Amino acid sequence: MANFNIDAKQNMTYDAIVIGSGISGGWAAKELCEKGLKTLVLERGRMVEHVKDYPTMNLDPWDMELRGGLTPELQKKHYKGGRSGFIGETNEHFHANDLENPYTEVKPFMWVRAHQMGGRSILWGKQCYRWSDLDFEANAKDGHGVDWPIRYRDIEPWYTYVEKFAGISGDPLGLPHLPDSHFLPPMELNCVEKHIKSRIEKDYPGRHLIIGRVAHLTVPLNGRGKCQYRNRCDRGCPYGAYFSSNAVTLPAANATGNLTIRPFSIVQSIIYDEEKGKASGVRIIDAETNEVMEYYARIIFCNASALSSTQILLNSTSNRFPNGLGNDSGELGHNLMDHTYRIGAMGVVEGFEDQYYKGRRPNGIYIPRYVNLDEKTKSDKFVRGFGFQGGGGRSGWGAGANLEDFGGDFKDSLMKPGPWEFFITGFAECLPYHENKVYLNKDVLDKWGQPTLSIDCEWKENEKALNKQIRQDAKEMLERAGLKDIVDFDNQHEPGFGIHEMGTARMGRDPKTSVLNGTNQVHACKNVFVTDGACMTSSSCVNPSLTYMALTARAANHAVSELKKLNL
Amino acid sequence: MNRRNALRKTALLAGSAVAAPSLFSLLQSCKKQSRLEWTPVFLSEDQARFVSAFVDTLLPRTDTPGALDVKTDIFLDLVFAKTYDAKAQENVVNEIKKFNEECKQRHGKVFADLNMEDRKAVFKSKEAESPKFNPKVWGTAVGEQKPVGFYRSLKSMALWGYFSSEEIGMKHLNYDPVPGEYRGCVPLSEIGNTWSL
Ligand SMILES: Cc1cc2nc3c(=O)[nH]c(=O)nc-3n(C[C@H](O)[C@H](O)[C@H](O)COP(=O)(O)OP(=O)(O)OC[C@H]3O[C@@H](n4cnc5c(N)ncnc54)[C@H](O)[C@@H]3O)c2cc1C
Ligand code: SF4
Repeated sequence: MANFNIDAKQNMTYDAIVIGSGISGGWAAKELCEKGLKTLVLERGRMVEHVKDYPTMNLDPWDMELRGGLTPELQKKHYKGGRSGFIGETNEHFHANDLENPYTEVKPFMWVRAHQMGGRSILWGKQCYRWSDLDFEANAKDGHGVDWPIRYRDIEPWYTYVEKFAGISGDPLGLPHLPDSHFLPPMELNCVEKHIKSRIEKDYPGRHLIIGRVAHLTVPLNGRGKCQYRNRCDRGCPYGAYFSSNAVTLPAANATGNLTIRPFSIVQSIIYDEEKGKASGVRIIDAETNEVMEYYARIIFCNASALSSTQILLNSTSNRFPNGLGNDSGELGHNLMDHTYRIGAMGVVEGFEDQYYKGRRPNGIYIPRYVNLDEKTKSDKFVRGFGFQGGGGRSGWGAGANLEDFGGDFKDSLMKPGPWEFFITGFAECLPYHENKVYLNKDVLDKWGQPTLSIDCEWKENEKALNKQIRQDAKEMLERAGLKDIVDFDNQHEPGFGIHEMGTARMGRDPKTSVLNGTNQVHACKNVFVTDGACMTSSSCVNPSLTYMALTARAANHAVSELKKLNL
Repeated sequence: MNRRNALRKTALLAGSAVAAPSLFSLLQSCKKQSRLEWTPVFLSEDQARFVSAFVDTLLPRTDTPGALDVKTDIFLDLVFAKTYDAKAQENVVNEIKKFNEECKQRHGKVFADLNMEDRKAVFKSKEAESPKFNPKVWGTAVGEQKPVGFYRSLKSMALWGYFSSEEIGMKHLNYDPVPGEYRGCVPLSEIGNTWSL
């Protein structure tokens, strides 16, 4: 890969500035650069170049001193995000430092952040599902939140556009409420998953069990290799087989010659020009030197991730916007959403002892939403719905800890695969509540002396009712599929565990009740675009990042056409 | 290139190496460690004898190597030293003491000095009385995990230490770092042992 241009000192003025280099920022950079705009990407973390900066990507457990364990110092560094169970010796260097970047949990909220080039695109689970009009019309239909200013037809071509470049593997199903993507060949289900699929689909007409739709290449694409089934994705992929900014969008942006990347650049605020009535640039703090600098551009894309973009807007005050840029409605920071997480069931599958699988598939199964689709599937207990992720496999030596056995035969028996197990866990849609919010906290400052966020968010009755149904349905499906030793569970995780935080600068039709318009522009400051999770008006029950990609490409296209018309 | 840029480039290089240096220097020393001259990092000599006896009772040598052959005890000492905070370390010390005292009461000697029959009797009663781990989904236990007690937690760590060792992982389990494909249904007879990764 050609070296990135990181020399942002010579030139303080660009056509476009992109704040953040994660999933959405990478797309903004690619689209704007490819359309000919000189683009500056400001990233608060360090540089992470594809392959070169993936130090653990090929390590086996025994290659690491602690074989995955963390020292108490590193545990402290991740004392908030570590609750996720996802942080270990192989990937802790891709997770943000919680000590340097505090936030306040007014009510419990786990915020998983990644502060480096690529953001969370290095770490994500890559599950990719299109939203549909079931989602875009939900608020209008049941009256929660405000109406989305767009419908499926507005975003449909942009889904196709980003999917063709990102590479999404999956199986078409033709469901109207979970539209098919432009798919690469699907990954395979294993024996037990196929078996349970046939049981569930027979017992429950209208329910489907499919292989997860994931941003993994199952065939080579644009010089990227296909997935080698190592399941070591969150260390970075040497083949570029899964979608990340580092492997996919940033190299494409760089190839245009229009990209400048400045790492260690913490955007503190967006500068509003009172005379021109638009934003003129951004103020940054150099994370290494603490130097404060300004960069200027005609348009600004805010892609720091949902809560961080909102934090920047809240921190961007002026005479015109005393309560934060674009906050005429008072909705900035409000309507925070996530998905509920880790409610489901698991059990043992008898039979298939003579069957096994080869490869470590970085993907599981998906059961699309089947409630509240129409009159027939309507629930009287809650609005909206949920889907399940999960998977099956044979237990390994780890199961030995619970076996009431020890000694030589015990040891040798653990060299053979154990029984088949299968689990499903639900993700439920969360409603947009005005009271679920973030706001600036000037009493708690980060390492650079900047105000931090307080997060005040909780699940309410509708989410609790959805969770109850998830647990009940999960257990029942596994029982009817013939599983044994079924354990059903609800871990009662606080918001944030879904790692799908959304809302806080929502899109809407009315500037009085929303922050962004139908093309992700701040209503009253049209050259500022917010296209990460902050823009979301409702939360659907499917993973959101594919939708951020599509919205970003769509907004970038709009931005450039408006620039050409001299409207910005 | 101006000076500022040069500085930044250097910083970038340093930044990208985060995890590497400390890791490798220590790794060397652990791999080279020979059993005869092993000086525990954290455990006292008596405590180390306990841990060695524990892993040897749990995973003795058969046709395949035992826990002592792959230095599971040496690894566990390192885990206590490097991943436990002071409070957790103190707890390990207390639990070993308690375990040995129980052995003395019931069999007249500390665990490491018991013959195999007595050690097995101790393990049997520990198995019966120790709570179990809840199942896990994506790295965390489901439901409310009650403490499993020292025996089961040390057992689980010993399994981890044994099966994640290079010798077992590469030569005895089925090692395939780059499978290249996923096949969902393959006769077990074609594969044999559990995948090591
Ligand atoms: C373990 C895990 C699994 C996940 N699984 C899935 C999944 O399966 N499917 C799915 O759809 N989503 C998944 N997600 C969520 C997904 O990662 C996020 O939705 C997505 O990365 C959001 O993209 P983004 O561009 O908004 O922000 P991010 O990818 O978080 O990137 C934001 C970037 O902005 C930078 N930044 C922040 N503040 C500033 C500032 N002030 N100045 C400059 N730069 C700044 C950050 O350093 C970061 O690089 C998962 C996340 C995790 C952690
Ligand atoms: S599983 Fe596939 S995408 Fe993930 S790191 Fe391995 S090869 Fe890359």
